[in-house]
Amino acid sequence: MDGQPELVTDRAAPVQPRSVGTLDLVTKRRDALSVIDRFRTSGSMKTLFPLTGTTLEAIMINTSGGLTGGDRFDVTAGVGEGSTLTLTTQAAERAYRAVSGRAQVRSRMDVAPGGRLNWLPQELILFQGCALDRRLEIDLAPGAELLMVEPVIFGRRAMDERLDRIGFTDRIAIRRAGRPLYLDTISLEGDAGALMARPALGAGAGAMACVVFVSEMAEGLLARCRTLLGAAGGASLVQPDTLVLRLLAEDGFELRRSLVPILETLGGARLPKSWSL
Amino acid sequence: MATGALIRTSTGPRPMNTDARFLTLMQWLSPAFPVGGFAYSHGLETAIAEGRVASGADVEDWLRDILRDGTGRSDAIWLGLAHQAGSTEALTALDAQARAFCAARERLREGERQGAAFVRTVNAVWSLDLPPILLPLAVGSAAGQVGIDRRMAAMAYLQSFVSSLVSAALRLAPLGQTEGQRIVAALAPDCATLSELAETATEDDIHSNAFLSDIMAMRHETLEPRLFQS
Repeated sequence: MDGQPELVTDRAAPVQPRSVGTLDLVTKRRDALSVIDRFRTSGSMKTLFPLTGTTLEAIMINTSGGLTGGDRFDVTAGVGEGSTLTLTTQAAERAYRAVSGRAQVRSRMDVAPGGRLNWLPQELILFQGCALDRRLEIDLAPGAELLMVEPVIFGRRAMDERLDRIGFTDRIAIRRAGRPLYLDTISLEGDAGALMARPALGAGAGAMACVVFVSEMAEGLLARCRTLLGAAGGASLVQPDTLVLRLLAEDGFELRRSLVPILETLGGARLPKSWSL
Repeated sequence: MATGALIRTSTGPRPMNTDARFLTLMQWLSPAFPVGGFAYSHGLETAIAEGRVASGADVEDWLRDILRDGTGRSDAIWLGLAHQAGSTEALTALDAQARAFCAARERLREGERQGAAFVRTVNAVWSLDLPPILLPLAVGSAAGQVGIDRRMAAMAYLQSFVSSLVSAALRLAPLGQTEGQRIVAALAPDCATLSELAETATEDDIHSNAFLSDIMAMRHETLEPRLFQS
């Protein structure tokens, strides 16, 4: 940091106890409603179920306040036949400086025929010195629908934070009937700021999101999405019913300006309330 | 399509000596080999149209990013994995994964069409029995079957990828032939270094950080006018 004091918050201070949390949630359809079929949570993971319409919404809360070396979070969810589950977070997740080890976050979801999963976590903010491995695996049955987003913010721009010592691996694997449908792995190790400054990587972007939409409606919504992309976003129908979007933006605020309308277009609904609080 | 072992003994590839293997690799990766590589810009056309890439130095930077953090790196790994795939089933399973990693529709088509053309030609001329698969996998598998070293194959593959994109850049931007060859030469050390991945890496090592390269490939779908198919 060139002799400057490190711009890391107190919450990232030297020794943090290791946090472990799990969520296991299964939904089913009862008449016109999506309801809980099984629900278990443990450790530093709490879940809120706000009252919504016919779908089931679950807000995940990491009560430890962030992710650091040695933390382990496991989310498993099953979306039962004909039901809809929306999973979101209460606030942005923060990956803080790790003293040793890496935080592990594993999310594994199955969606049954006619089911729909909306995986809509808020931003992940990477802090200087963070060490995080995430793995998101989604298995879709034929005829299952998916809307997912993973927004990431690279350090806090307003504080001029540099990310020159981080470890971040983010894997997304979406399969349908056991076959790979969409795979994406990001691996930013070391000087992520310098990497993101590279012209074909981020060209200096401070925030990014990946969106995947699997639905019969995907092709019909492509043109609309393209009008919402902003100057550094792309959308492509990689399969007849699979739309992929990648957005880059100056910062988290600019990212939301294009991301929120896109997610609302694809979701056919307002985003979960926690997004606007 | 035949299943099971890829190596055919009676009518399959004849054993080659070192000179023959080297010349075969040169032939496969020459711009004259009919895979149609000249038709694809890998998103570079959009990057030039949007003014992100303008000079020779910009082209070099852009291609170095694609090599180190994008398609080049991944292709070296796919090529190495296909080289070692022991059966058609293993090869088509790798192909399914490589397809799912394609970040944009034109990216997929680029690998698919060139792969299919490559497979048609090597099956006919070298008596191989490859299924239609993406180009890096097809080159890797074919190289494995005729006994071409996988690192050598990856190195030559990466350089032909770079050369093809430099040729595209020359058609799109005011760059001279000499500048184009300077760029290819400047990127040769990267091709050599990355080719090591063909020997050492596994599927778990596949990743891509070339986000803008992917976005440019996506935006190419609506770019007007355009010379290239990707």
